[in-house]
Amino acid sequence: MLYLPLYPSIGGSAQMQDLINALPPEMTKALNYDQIASGPGYTQATMFGLIGFLLMSMASIGWGAAAVGGDEESGLLELTLAHSVTRVQIVLERALAIVVRIALLSVLVFLLVLGLNGPSQLGIDVGHLAGAVLLFAALALLSGTAALFAGALSGRKVYGIAAGAAVAVLGYVFNAVGRQSPDVQWLLNLSPYHWAYGNSPAANGADWGAAAGLYGISAGLIVLGAVALQRRDVGV
Amino acid sequence: MTQAIVVEGLRKKFGHREVLHGLDFAVDRGTVFGVIGPNGAGKTTTMRCLLDIIRPSAGSISVLGEDPRSAGTALRRRIGYLPGELHLENRTTGRRMLEHFAAISGPVDPKHVNELAERLNLDLDRQTRKLSKGNKQKLGLLQAFMHKPELLVLDEPTSGLDPLVQQVFHAMVREAVDGGATVFLSSHVLSEVQQAADAVAILRDGGIVTVSTVEALRTAAVRQVRFTSTETEAHDVGALLARVPGVANMVVRELKADGHTSGTVEATAMLSGHVQPLVQALARLNLTDLVLEEPDLEEAVLTLYTAQTPQPGQSSQPGQSPGLGQPPGLGNGQTQGRHVEGAHRA
Repeated sequence: MLYLPLYPSIGGSAQMQDLINALPPEMTKALNYDQIASGPGYTQATMFGLIGFLLMSMASIGWGAAAVGGDEESGLLELTLAHSVTRVQIVLERALAIVVRIALLSVLVFLLVLGLNGPSQLGIDVGHLAGAVLLFAALALLSGTAALFAGALSGRKVYGIAAGAAVAVLGYVFNAVGRQSPDVQWLLNLSPYHWAYGNSPAANGADWGAAAGLYGISAGLIVLGAVALQRRDVGV
Repeated sequence: MTQAIVVEGLRKKFGHREVLHGLDFAVDRGTVFGVIGPNGAGKTTTMRCLLDIIRPSAGSISVLGEDPRSAGTALRRRIGYLPGELHLENRTTGRRMLEHFAAISGPVDPKHVNELAERLNLDLDRQTRKLSKGNKQKLGLLQAFMHKPELLVLDEPTSGLDPLVQQVFHAMVREAVDGGATVFLSSHVLSEVQQAADAVAILRDGGIVTVSTVEALRTAAVRQVRFTSTETEAHDVGALLARVPGVANMVVRELKADGHTSGTVEATAMLSGHVQPLVQALARLNLTDLVLEEPDLEEAVLTLYTAQTPQPGQSSQPGQSPGLGQPPGLGNGQTQGRHVEGAHRA
């Protein structure tokens, strides 16, 4: 919310565009700053693409890693499992809790951007915004479910955090590097960040296939997490 | 009536390391069964197997008549569990945590919860992470007892509790048993097991050394004897003692006064088994002092901690224990090897 009101002076002005042109193209491509000339592009690049991505990922990874791995390390999972609840139930319910939290935060983001749309002269189409927020949530959920799965598999919070962070960071890095030249473009195929943001959804609308794919993978990770917990010993 | 817990041939391997080598024991309903053993003996692993937290590598387990792995949630509703290591670092209050567990495993009578909390002197409205270790343990006890389960599985239940609260705990156990529940608990503290348990299993290195009632353990346990007699020579006293069955580690000496033999003899020995033969023998002496100590279960069990290696699959029924004075397969040589406390030289 820091970024958006600055748009008229940063993104929209001609001098800014000249400045961006003066920067090394590699850098602008890596940071997605080549879009910031337009309102939607600016929003995409700064908020969805960087600061929002960072904050949401951190939150989601934290929740995911704590859900099973952290709980097991703290000894509380053992106590809960001794009660009248199944392991699958625990994983699914905690995954649902993460989904709900991400959904609530995403709705908040949507409303905020919409609210600033006029005052900051962003000119974002509401439909495109909804699509962008959906992909934004999908990306965060992917890191979170990766953390959940790794935590459920290993019983340790740190592996959950590592897995979630890997998905988020590598996704960002592969996108940044992959955009540099056609030779390394194949890296873009490995980047969930690119799948979500490749066509700049705030500007051009969502890639629904990518959204479905991301949510599908997240659902798969949750199921795998449940299976992993079901089959192993807990607390050892 | 089925027994509350039946374990046969329980083995557990973690990777290449086998930590339980074929346990066999059974717990009757309505009794308190204690498991004691040194650290790393396998007590916690065994308990976790009962709750399906850990799955056995081999062997069969029956809890309240059902297999823990396949019985699912309905079985766990009938069990109350207290884990050995309880970390409660949440921001929730104790009350909310108990309500959460009550919602899962209920139904729970809130008056009962409050009554127990008051007896244990626990403030349920403090955040769990702010509780001291003892208070966290009380909270753990509460969540195990609150739904009045048929079976209580308690791993070192009094750890961190002060003596007053320990007595409250023992009262809670008695009340539970009076209500028909079965209690399966583990401990390091032998006096606690002495107080609470009807039958005891001694676990060492993943195998059961012996299963016995507490009474049988005490009867078979070794007592220390000290007496002073007059008008009898030391070697005569020694010979008299040597003829008494169960006497070992004898030390007899003459007490000297002013450099002359005073005719007073002081003797110490360890006695295992029945007291009557010793008393009859001593009656022939002119005793001026006699001390026959209550057998210390702690000392007795410690010999088992360090003594024989448990045999895989070994089991015995409560009441038929070979007794600690004569561990199976070993003769009196075993007890004679023990260092006698208080044995002093002139």
